[in-house]
Amino acid sequence: MADALIDGKPASLEAAAARAAQILVEARLPLVAGLGADVAGTSAAILLAERLRGAYDHMRSDEIFTDLDVVRQAGAMVTTPSVARLRADVLVFIGDDLTEIWPELIDRLAPAEIPPFDLEKSARQLVWIAPPKGAAIEGVSIKRIETANIAVTLAALRARVAGKPVALAGEALEELDAVAAILNKARFGVFVWGPRRLDRLCVEMATGLIIDLNKTTRFTGLPLGTSDNAAGVTQTSGWSTGFPTRTSFGRGYPEHDTWRFDAVRLIESGEADAALWISAYSPSAPQWTREVPLIALVPKETSFAREPAVRIDIGRPGVDHDGADFSREVSALVAREATRRSDAPSTASFLKSIAEQIARNAGQSGEGA
Amino acid sequence: MTLVLELKQEPDQRLDLAPLVPHLLQGKSAAEIAAIQLQTTRENCAVGDIFDVKLDGAFDKIHFKGGSSRLDHLGAGLKDGEITLEGDCGHAAGRAMSGGSLVISGSAGPFAGSALSGGVMEIKGEAGDFLGGPLDGEIEGMSGGLLIVRGSAGARAGDRLRRGTIVIEGSAGDYVASRFIAGTLIAVKGAGALPGYLLRRGTIILGATPELAPTYIDCGAYNLAFAGLFGRFLRPYSKPAAELLAKRLNRFAGDTSVLGKGEIFFPG
Repeated sequence: MADALIDGKPASLEAAAARAAQILVEARLPLVAGLGADVAGTSAAILLAERLRGAYDHMRSDEIFTDLDVVRQAGAMVTTPSVARLRADVLVFIGDDLTEIWPELIDRLAPAEIPPFDLEKSARQLVWIAPPKGAAIEGVSIKRIETANIAVTLAALRARVAGKPVALAGEALEELDAVAAILNKARFGVFVWGPRRLDRLCVEMATGLIIDLNKTTRFTGLPLGTSDNAAGVTQTSGWSTGFPTRTSFGRGYPEHDTWRFDAVRLIESGEADAALWISAYSPSAPQWTREVPLIALVPKETSFAREPAVRIDIGRPGVDHDGADFSREVSALVAREATRRSDAPSTASFLKSIAEQIARNAGQSGEGA
Repeated sequence: MTLVLELKQEPDQRLDLAPLVPHLLQGKSAAEIAAIQLQTTRENCAVGDIFDVKLDGAFDKIHFKGGSSRLDHLGAGLKDGEITLEGDCGHAAGRAMSGGSLVISGSAGPFAGSALSGGVMEIKGEAGDFLGGPLDGEIEGMSGGLLIVRGSAGARAGDRLRRGTIVIEGSAGDYVASRFIAGTLIAVKGAGALPGYLLRRGTIILGATPELAPTYIDCGAYNLAFAGLFGRFLRPYSKPAAELLAKRLNRFAGDTSVLGKGEIFFPG
């Protein structure tokens, strides 16, 4: 089994790093994309982007910014799954994909359990807006709000919680008022949502409703976020550059813009002319269709429409090697010991060899990258 | 007098035109202007590399001959004087402009007129998403001035607008006037889904019956004295907008999910 492939042919890791360095240094605007990496891999990727004066983006940035844009433009109150489990007497689930995003959600939040820190020790109530078909949880009666348009339902619910008029009548209004009453009477409520069924304005409506409810009771949010260590990468990017993903070092300093530095747009427009794709957590390939020289750090089973110029079978953090990444369970970065330690290189170690190769080349030719 | 910058060829990287506004160029010679760096990647690109610079003495107007969707921040921070562009431009044209006039003969990318606070900006073609809106991480959108689009605009035109007027002679996309704090937006050919989502105050006037959220409440049809007055103010800038304002208009008040002191008008 080869450690690396160059143009589809087996090669050593050293040769692969040398070829990768050459491709990235020759580009006008190299792009570090995918970025499904642990903290060490992300740090190495951002440092490499800085050295190359390239841009970096995460494959789940659209989902990252669905929540992050609301946090930074409007503010949001959020909590951890543990606090939700200990205190929530009312849970409000939004969307039919919550258990798809986080299969352990129901185990973790235990809706059937009486909240241990709730003084009244009464059974939890669960409201599910736009629930999946046939959603059922043992020991819980779910108050369902069927809707094809979450944006409209959240707006109308927020108006009714504040006692303001809406252009609805009959059963639709009664159903909404019944849920508004549950929310207003809650002692500690938690909204739970994911970034796929909701857009940024829906999330802003939900967080706005949470802020409204906090005038009279306690309410908070539990955004489930997305995969491929998106939250860990966002934090690492924050402490490295002051910005989240979609940041470029093109001018020598970090510049953030979610439109200009969107990886797919950069490649499709021809502005970025080489890419380093990292996906250590899932066998994901880039979404773009235009062909550029590609260096891929991916698991073995990943398939590409066109063979990358350089391909490395990368190790998975916490499995093949130790790593730190964001844990949804505790809403924080955690260290994970390798569960099946192997020789597969870590993202950080391979990126370090590319950086060393670039430094060596620059030293030999007497000019900086 | 006019400073003419004629585009030699399509740039192969995005260029930041923010330095090319009259108040930053006053007193500079053609050679000094040609040396200004515009690149956004590690490849250098000066004004003279990409534009032919034509200048005689003092000028109060900049004319760009030829455009590209890779020319960003055209007329950013414009305070006075005039900038005209024959062609298209990219991201955030007229960004934080506070006075003067900016005319784009082609289409503009997203965030055109972002955080505009004064002056008049006109886009003769189409505008991208977030017309007049705040950039990433910013709190406030447009706070004054007049922004006119002769074609159509993308999603969330007028996002977080606080003061000033936007006229779109074509149609606006989804979520037009999202998160409005105050101000006015007119879309002569109507708008996409859910206009005025999270709108606190302000006025939206749409030329076609919109798909409204139930957080907008029917207040009946009116012949408003103010609409006539406002129409007369707008007539020199946009005849179709003035004609729309002269019609009998249905008024819907909302967005009751938030403050609910705004309104959407459309002829009925």
